[in-house]
Amino acid sequence: MSYVTIDQVTKGYHHQVVLENISLTLKKGEFATLLGQSGCGKSTLLRSIAGLEDVDSGSIFIDGKDITHISPRQREVGMVFQSYALFPNMNVFDNIAYGLKMKKAKNIKTRVTKMIELVDLVGKEQSYPHQLSGGQQQRVALARALVMEPKVLLLDEPLSALDAKIRKNLQKELRRIQKELEITTIFVTHDQEEAMTMSDRIFVMNKGKIVQSGSPVEIYTSPVNTFVAKFIGNYNVLSMEVFHKLVHSTELNGKEIAIRPEVLQIVSANEGHLGLHDNWGIKGLVKDVSMTGNVLRYEVETEGAAFLVDNLHHKGKMFEQGAQVQIFVPKKECIIL
Amino acid sequence: MKTSLSFHKVIVGLLVIYLVIPLAATLLFSVAGKWDHTILPESFTMKWYIELFHDERFYGALQHTLFLIFVTVGLGVVIMLPTIFIITVYFSKWEGWLQTVAMLPYGIPPIVGAVGLIKVYSNGPLPITGTPWILVGAYFITILPFMYQGIRNSLRTVNAVQLVDAAELLGATKFQAFRTVVFPNIISGILVSTLLSVALLFSEFAFANLLVGGRFETIQIYLADKLNSSGHLTSAIVITYYSIILLVTGTVLKLTFKKDKVPSPSSKKRSVFFINKPFRQKNTALEGENS
Ligand SMILES: Nc1ncnc2c1ncn2[C@@H]1O[C@H](COP(=O)(O)OP(=O)(O)OP(=O)(O)O)[C@@H](O)[C@H]1O
Ligand SMILES: [Mg+2]
Repeated sequence: MSYVTIDQVTKGYHHQVVLENISLTLKKGEFATLLGQSGCGKSTLLRSIAGLEDVDSGSIFIDGKDITHISPRQREVGMVFQSYALFPNMNVFDNIAYGLKMKKAKNIKTRVTKMIELVDLVGKEQSYPHQLSGGQQQRVALARALVMEPKVLLLDEPLSALDAKIRKNLQKELRRIQKELEITTIFVTHDQEEAMTMSDRIFVMNKGKIVQSGSPVEIYTSPVNTFVAKFIGNYNVLSMEVFHKLVHSTELNGKEIAIRPEVLQIVSANEGHLGLHDNWGIKGLVKDVSMTGNVLRYEVETEGAAFLVDNLHHKGKMFEQGAQVQIFVPKKECIIL
Repeated sequence: MKTSLSFHKVIVGLLVIYLVIPLAATLLFSVAGKWDHTILPESFTMKWYIELFHDERFYGALQHTLFLIFVTVGLGVVIMLPTIFIITVYFSKWEGWLQTVAMLPYGIPPIVGAVGLIKVYSNGPLPITGTPWILVGAYFITILPFMYQGIRNSLRTVNAVQLVDAAELLGATKFQAFRTVVFPNIISGILVSTLLSVALLFSEFAFANLLVGGRFETIQIYLADKLNSSGHLTSAIVITYYSIILLVTGTVLKLTFKKDKVPSPSSKKRSVFFINKPFRQKNTALEGENS
């Protein structure tokens, strides 16, 4: 039984369609990610779920209840904004207590204190937002939403304003808290790595549509089209015509072929063949080498196409720029689009 | 580096001298007794102040001015704050219209405006020419641009739209959101606009003279009238009037920064700049009036 259902939601601004027939379902306690490029409509979808934007058509259900046309304050949805939107005139405690006060809840003090412990902000209760670091502000925003025990938590690129290291920490932290509270979460990001590490399920969006959904592994290993292949994993995408010429074989058929950079093997041009039956060999020239720590990334120019090749960085096995090489393409790793 | 710094200092120094000298001279003149052939007065006296403070007309004029300012600025805040808030937050597509309307007064010279107002309000359904109410109306329009700019900028600076979104998601009604998270964060901005309006209206002469004149004497009308009698007395009026403005400004400034729990450096600078400006304008005006 699905907990969150979005059914054919469409939304536009002055004749420009921003969300086109979006449908998705989430199970209770699931961590789902909306992944897509800037401007594809992620925030708009999130704001529609929160009730901050009206949809033109379609409906949204949470826990079996149609919330499409009710006001934000009645939706029991929590949201963390990209810029946090903390209340500058209130300290950390009051920021977190705000929603409970509005609801005239009981035990405000205990609940807020517990939440402050959960997000690791003990000692900062009396600080004002401008006295906090970006990461701390983010935690306050998270606590402020979580203390209301919302049915669904919406996170609009909550980590994008932070630097890489804090970001990695907070990704783990966020996931820990989410699992601890078993809260259904929709997370928005345009960073595929972040989506991969955090999500139970990813919805890849492009130009107002969901183009693919699935677990991180599914999305990564079997992209359904060129957009997903390129966006998600730096896939080498070639037209079938070019590929046939390169490998002198018409064994595979389809429109395009996608190959991940890390399944390619690179050897020097005069080295022997490597299990010919399972691989195709393609001759080429190293145009560029770059190193990202443990991985060497080659840009190899072949007749008619450029390949990205990722190999682990072994000692003594590195090709210089301009080296004549041969790349091996494992047959079973070729994905036909 | 060093030369440029001292160069700056010289410029600032000259500016200060330029601004302060007329004021200092006015002050000196207002307490001078005999002052004919010497650089500094031969004797000092408080008699001009005593004369001024014994003049019923002065108190009357001051009262009138304060009444006008209080009503107009109060009306301005009460009407413009909700209007601007609602338009920027909920009807942002109409913002352009509001801006145009708010900026219109800039384009109409007071004389032209006054003539029009007299024509319209002399008879017909609302014959208020010659009463203070027509001044309230005219002044409301005069301060509109300042009110609009100040309030709108504050709303933008605190990102009011997003604060309201956040508050609403946490269960606040729109009104609660405004009262608890928007208003406390824009008070300082509103105070700055208010202050600017007060200073502007304090020195307003054209409308007051043309629309109401002696029938509801304001401090500026009184000043203009006394200009012909005694230079010393006029100086005393100017200094008194200046002190009042200084007092108001100081009080509001103090309030602003005490209440302002988030003293962002930029907003501080801005308010100081705003507050300096009317003074400077007044300085030059005083100079002209005294010569
Ligand atoms: N209030 C608005 N008026 C008109 N167009 C809008 C409005 N808000 C968003 N849009 C348009 O809708 C599209 C989607 O915007 P949205 O903010 O949802 O993108 P996004 O996927 O969140 O991008 P980003 O990753 O940059 O935040 C954009 O093309 C944007 O120009
Ligand atoms: Mg966005």
